[in-house]
Amino acid sequence: MTAGRTSAIRRSLIAFSAVAFSCVQAIAEAPTRVMSLNLCTDQLAMELAAPGQLVSISFLSRDPSLSPMSGQAETYPVNHGRAEEVFLEKPDLVVTGTYSLQNTTGLLKRLGFRVEEFSFVQTIETIPGDIRRMGALLGRKPEAEALASSFEKELAGIEARQCGQRPTAIAFEQGGVAAGSGTLADSVLAAAGFRNLAAESGIVGMAPMSIELIVSQKPDVIITRAGEEDTPSLGAKVPYHPALRALQDTRIGPFVPRGTWSCGGPFVLDAVKALARLREEIAPCGALQ
Amino acid sequence: MRPVVLNAVLCLLMLALFLASLAVGPAELGISESVRGLLAGGGEAAAIIMREIRLPRALLGLGIGFTLGISGAVLQGFLRNPLAEPGIVGVSAMAAFGAVLVFYSGLAGSTLYALPAGALIGALIAVLLLLALTARSGSTLTLILAGVALSSLSAALTSLVLNLSPNPFASYEIIFWLLGSLKDRSIEHVWLALPLTLAGWLLIALSARAIDALSLGEETAASLGIDMRRARLFIVLGTALGVGAATAVAGTIGFVGLVVPHLVRPLTNRLPSRLLLPAGFAGAALLLAADVAVRLILPAGELNVGVLTALIGAPFFLWLVIRSRREVF
Repeated sequence: MTAGRTSAIRRSLIAFSAVAFSCVQAIAEAPTRVMSLNLCTDQLAMELAAPGQLVSISFLSRDPSLSPMSGQAETYPVNHGRAEEVFLEKPDLVVTGTYSLQNTTGLLKRLGFRVEEFSFVQTIETIPGDIRRMGALLGRKPEAEALASSFEKELAGIEARQCGQRPTAIAFEQGGVAAGSGTLADSVLAAAGFRNLAAESGIVGMAPMSIELIVSQKPDVIITRAGEEDTPSLGAKVPYHPALRALQDTRIGPFVPRGTWSCGGPFVLDAVKALARLREEIAPCGALQ
Repeated sequence: MRPVVLNAVLCLLMLALFLASLAVGPAELGISESVRGLLAGGGEAAAIIMREIRLPRALLGLGIGFTLGISGAVLQGFLRNPLAEPGIVGVSAMAAFGAVLVFYSGLAGSTLYALPAGALIGALIAVLLLLALTARSGSTLTLILAGVALSSLSAALTSLVLNLSPNPFASYEIIFWLLGSLKDRSIEHVWLALPLTLAGWLLIALSARAIDALSLGEETAASLGIDMRRARLFIVLGTALGVGAATAVAGTIGFVGLVVPHLVRPLTNRLPSRLLLPAGFAGAALLLAADVAVRLILPAGELNVGVLTALIGAPFFLWLVIRSRREVF
């Protein structure tokens, strides 16, 4: 607790001095009307933008099951990622994801808008870089630096508390899709001290994994998607298949707070913390001795 | 072929494919391990895989295949139309739409019981609509065109409901409802579908004498003392129950009911009632075989079984159309 407060004070001191240095320069370069078309860039932009700088965000950010910032998103106008909306708004910077809305992105570039794309291939290691890049784009480098370095520090703190006990887990999404190697979930599991069985059995990216394979590997934890109780789908029932529930030593549930690991952003830390607590509960480090 | 021999042969084929279905899956279990898992039980991985994953899947393949085969046979006899089949005349598609509408709207919470409830209503509406449409003109063309219209409309409405669902992942399930699958089903689905399909088989079996008489024409049938209203009710309810329950748990699986009666009919004495049981066995055998094949062709991603039955069935349908072109046009 005390350590956290001290680091927060130090962080704000650093941030303050950095602001003082780069203030003049930032005002000169910073875009004044920024539009974000993608759920993940929305999160970074809302965290970092100066008041009034961000003119609209994607409508998905208001969905509480996808976005941990849905409350804050209510205070911004929303867009649906259409080129016409951008054209009417006349922003001087558009931020979006690489894979989403490629047609829109291409059209906007031809129309002469400045479009900056953020890669969707994210792991926990790429997040500080993305935060710094967004900060540079928005002319908010000091704020971004403070956020990125506190992210790195907290993450290092959690990773330092790992020990030899590494229980097994599978992040099992709707419709029987598991998070394999190279995914954000894979790196979050590793940071929290879990072994990702999906990656170990050769799954790359988000790909289907059969229930039979999961049963034969008997993972300690199956992590499902949080927050879909009110909107039924058949796929949401797959992680709760009777065959998986029959595994006596396996815990199944949404152990990660809603929407915290759907995007590479500062909220991923909440996912890491929740999973690290779960790991401590399942396999306490003290039990090793 | 004598009926007893034919039934015995087809039944054995079905049972062999049932065992094959139990033996195939991504977890490589040996034969002794599978048998022990199936019979011994307990918390072992092999027991869970056999009892909770493969057994329900094989049971559903058998039950749904039987239902589709027998429904195809009874519809072809009843409507006196060689192209009649639950998939082609739009009963399956309407059943899928009914299930989708009730389940994804969240009207009944997220309980699985919403699926058969909606599917039965959809199937019933479809059968009644078809009867009304074919009451005036019994031509093959009317029935098939009505079926095409009904199928396309239900498929479009199914996609619409899934696209409008507030759950962003629901639209991925369009393919399941349009081209069914037995993947990831569980014993819950078996309990959901089995009682209803059994009731459907019973009703169809009770109307066997009526469809024989019907092959001589409606007036002759009535003069033979057949209660036509009762027979019609039994066939409508029987098909709706069977196809509705099958579609509710496995999506739309087309063409099984079309192909099977045509394959089996030459082996019978061509009385429609004698076709029912062998068509059921052969339907079960065909669906089990297709379901084994999809697991072997693409073990990782797994093809939807409805894709395979359409690949077999659609060319067969075309061939039937060409063969009976004089009658149709």
